[in-house]
Amino acid sequence: MRINKFRLMTYPYIGWIIVMIVVPMLLIGLYAFTVPGNDVASVKFSLDNFARFATDAVFLKVVGKSLWIAFLTTVVCILLGYPIAYIISKAKGNKSMILILLLTLPTWINMLVRTYAWMGILQEGGVFSSICAFFGFEGVSLLYTDFAVTLGMVYNFLPFMILQIHTSLAKMDNSLLEAASDLGANRVQSFLRVTLPLSLPGVVSGITLVFLPAVSSFFIPKLLGGGQYVLVGNVIESQFLTAGDWHFGSAISLIMAIIIIISMWLTRKIDVQPKKEN
Amino acid sequence: MNKTSKFWSIFSKTMMGLTLLFFYLPILYIIIFSFNGSKSLTRLDGFSLQWYEKMFADPVMMSSIGYTIAIALIATAVSTILGTFTAIGLSKSGKILRSSVERVNELPVMNPDIVTGISLLMLFSALAVSKGFMTMLLAHIMFCTPFVILSVMPKLRTLDPNLTDAALDLGATPFQAMTKVIIPQIKPSIIAGALIAFTMSFDDFVISYFVTGNGVQNISILVYTMSKRINPSINALSTLVIVIITISLIAVNLIPLIKRKAFDKEK
Amino acid sequence: MEEKKKIIQIKNVVKNFGDTVVLKGVSLDIYDNEFVTLLGPSGCGKTTLLRILGGFIDPSSGEVLFQGEDILKLPPYKRDINTVFQKYALFPHLNVYDNIAFGLKIKKTPKDVIDRKVRRMLKLVNLEEYGKRGITELSGGQQQRIAIARALVNEPAVLLLDEPLGALDLKLRKEMQIELKRIQQEVGITFIFVTHDQEEALTMSDKIVVMKGGEIQQVGSPTEIYNEPANEYVANFIGETNIIDGKIIDEHTVRFEDKNFPCDAAKSFAQNELVDVVIRPEDLDVVPREKGMLKGIVKFQIFKGVHYDTLVETRLGTSITVKMHVSEDKPVENKSAGEKISANSFYLDSEDVEELNDDRILDLAQAEAWNSETEEPVSIKSVESNIRKETGKYSVKFTTLAGTSITVDAHVVRANRQTSPVFQEEISAMEFFVKTDDIKDSMALDTDLKTWANAQAWSLEDGTDVAITDVKYDFDWENIEPGEYEITFATEGYQYKVSTTKALPDGTEVGLAFDPEDIHLMKKETIPG
Repeated sequence: MRINKFRLMTYPYIGWIIVMIVVPMLLIGLYAFTVPGNDVASVKFSLDNFARFATDAVFLKVVGKSLWIAFLTTVVCILLGYPIAYIISKAKGNKSMILILLLTLPTWINMLVRTYAWMGILQEGGVFSSICAFFGFEGVSLLYTDFAVTLGMVYNFLPFMILQIHTSLAKMDNSLLEAASDLGANRVQSFLRVTLPLSLPGVVSGITLVFLPAVSSFFIPKLLGGGQYVLVGNVIESQFLTAGDWHFGSAISLIMAIIIIISMWLTRKIDVQPKKEN
Repeated sequence: MNKTSKFWSIFSKTMMGLTLLFFYLPILYIIIFSFNGSKSLTRLDGFSLQWYEKMFADPVMMSSIGYTIAIALIATAVSTILGTFTAIGLSKSGKILRSSVERVNELPVMNPDIVTGISLLMLFSALAVSKGFMTMLLAHIMFCTPFVILSVMPKLRTLDPNLTDAALDLGATPFQAMTKVIIPQIKPSIIAGALIAFTMSFDDFVISYFVTGNGVQNISILVYTMSKRINPSINALSTLVIVIITISLIAVNLIPLIKRKAFDKEK
Repeated sequence: MEEKKKIIQIKNVVKNFGDTVVLKGVSLDIYDNEFVTLLGPSGCGKTTLLRILGGFIDPSSGEVLFQGEDILKLPPYKRDINTVFQKYALFPHLNVYDNIAFGLKIKKTPKDVIDRKVRRMLKLVNLEEYGKRGITELSGGQQQRIAIARALVNEPAVLLLDEPLGALDLKLRKEMQIELKRIQQEVGITFIFVTHDQEEALTMSDKIVVMKGGEIQQVGSPTEIYNEPANEYVANFIGETNIIDGKIIDEHTVRFEDKNFPCDAAKSFAQNELVDVVIRPEDLDVVPREKGMLKGIVKFQIFKGVHYDTLVETRLGTSITVKMHVSEDKPVENKSAGEKISANSFYLDSEDVEELNDDRILDLAQAEAWNSETEEPVSIKSVESNIRKETGKYSVKFTTLAGTSITVDAHVVRANRQTSPVFQEEISAMEFFVKTDDIKDSMALDTDLKTWANAQAWSLEDGTDVAITDVKYDFDWENIEPGEYEITFATEGYQYKVSTTKALPDGTEVGLAFDPEDIHLMKKETIPG
């Protein structure tokens, strides 16, 4: 048998991903299920980290709040993203390409920089409060509120939602709509019975792309929510960089990962179910 | 009919207008306030370049720009080469090998950045590597390569597998088949992958934040640490970031266009 | 005649991909300067065999010798064999000239030599002016020629062609067949050509290798393959033909369709041996009925330019005749509710009574209710019946929510079946009631008649459904009057494909004649397992 020379080319990367991806992931698991001993060699298997998490109301509350903000962000992104994607997909000729280009352009620019800009816009005396003042509401500051954090997340993640929905709308065969109207559906009916169900996969992958970074984000709450505003990401950050308890931090990361996996799984299920019924 | 379509036209125009305003407002805000005459972040007091002067005079800011660009360039080069070779190898390998590598390869893309960040932090300290430029570079190569592979793989899949066979049939060795036939075909995807890798690296904050040390900071980390105090130089720095990214985007999109124009003229 | 040199020897080559065996031990010798065609349907292993020769896949076991030497260890780029790929695999980033020059450049041939050779190749394939063109600017036929030129410029000893004409339209394909044959004769090397098109194989080849399921069925010249197919599979694959079950009577006689016929080929079979009788459509002559060796009627003709493909039925399939009761009954109107309701009486097989439910009854009676004004359908809410298993007449009452109702008869009867021992088939159908409007409004009358009569046919051997291909009746459906009519349903009988230059209207009674030497006989294919 001759050797597949092309396969040899994958070996360096396989070695690389074992060291740089697989081992680090295993390390998280290792740390999460152990507690520090007196020296490095005497780490012990333990579920203490998880017990500590489950019994401490503060941490549970943080997780609840993170899920709530991420959920809120996702809902707002769907409600705004769908009509925007729909409008773009209905635009004629080059126009829809230009609109997509205009929407993606800002996403290439550093998220942190763009989030930082919102600090100035939202703080007292900024653009937003000036507009409020114009209508007679003096001294409004939205910075360091739930609203600001959600706004920051929507701002950062909305383009993902729009792009996903737009792709599924754009690749939809126009003759399907013609067929629907030929079979007697009016515009609203053909939207509800043809366009919407066919674009659901786009919405689902959009949800994945919004919910996942939203639930784990830590600089958006830090910048727009203030130092006291704590979400899961902030807890993990502080465990690793200030509190120095890597075991507990790993356990929280693992819990977060599991929550994400479960929510993704639920989302996919919602997507699949109506198809099965038919 | 006419009434609804008129309503639809007004609705869609307003909606798109507000959307674009929403997306561009912060960017405009940064650019405008980077030329502000005073330290205020809310009130404009005339035009000045003082924040740019301060930025260029600040060694920490300048070194962060240097680190960011150096890491982005090296990480892009390494991950593009590594990713392209791996993707070509995978496309010619068995299903089991291909799908298991693809599965692992997707982990850094799917995982929240913070999880990738802490996992690498633990790896480096387990290996007793001192954190700094090198660890940040390795981390960047680690999260950029999957994007190159993901960008190149679909194009490879659409290639007629007979093209490689045809090259071998005509006497090319596997290496010649790769350089003379496969790579020219997938060049656009490689460039797209490299561009994604560059901006991913250039913009990264979360992973860099966890794996850096010894005073090595990229622009994102610098903005994060400085944002706690009012410092309009950040606006100047951010404007610089916007300009660099915009220029590189335009360059990547325009160079092929200009080349083609020149080619057409030759004809 | 001088002994030809064996250029490729394939010895017992087996290939499996995982659990599927694609080649089950293929052995084949290929000679110098031959045009060999591997012919078979997709999945028969022909392309796999070709790719093993090209060096793109390794066989699981077996040997391949090239000019007497084992080449299985050699990678494709070290074999003196070149390939023309399916869909050509031309390099889209190179122009025509550079595509052809690719192999020579790899070998570091001097530039002037490359130039000369490429020009000669372009001339060979009649595309001299096309060197500077891009690949995408070429038509399918031109791309095809370039792919051939790109392979031939390397002066291989053998050229492999993997369904190279598959992507071309009919006219171009015919042209390229002639072109390919010309090129092969001009360069004088061995061509191994893979196709699923028997006509292509017959026109171009010196030798045809018919394959099926990873095995070689027959190797021979086109005339051998066409005239003496080794088995039913080859006979069917190589062209449209008539295959009839027969039995050897003595060394000059074969019996089929309950008649004895003189036959030259009978001598190579044993007495009483069961055989497949093959008669080619062009060997059958249409003669007046009284002169015919077989008698039949013309089912239909398709004009094929020079001749007509004609289907002659010599024996009707299994058939059954049932009565159709046509009435002009009007729907029952319920003025107070503004509704109309209609339904038909129906016949029902006593064996089906057990499985009867309301939906089935609604179907059988074709019960419908609707709003008198808007014609919008109204649903029937209740079905009352006293149907029992015993044969007899029962009544069924359908009622809507508003109380509009109609009562019809349900006749439970024994099954009405016909069995055909010849075809080993059974057919069944029921008497039925319809309204004149049902027939006038029918969009597909034959299908509707089958549905109303619940006509079905099945094989007695394995119980599978047999298609009912014939529905006969003699009423004018547009002007049908109330009354009783007979409908005959039939399956397909013995039919002969005949090619003739005579135009014959459907239903013409004809005779068929053939010569003793035109009856070909094949061993009955034993079905494995």
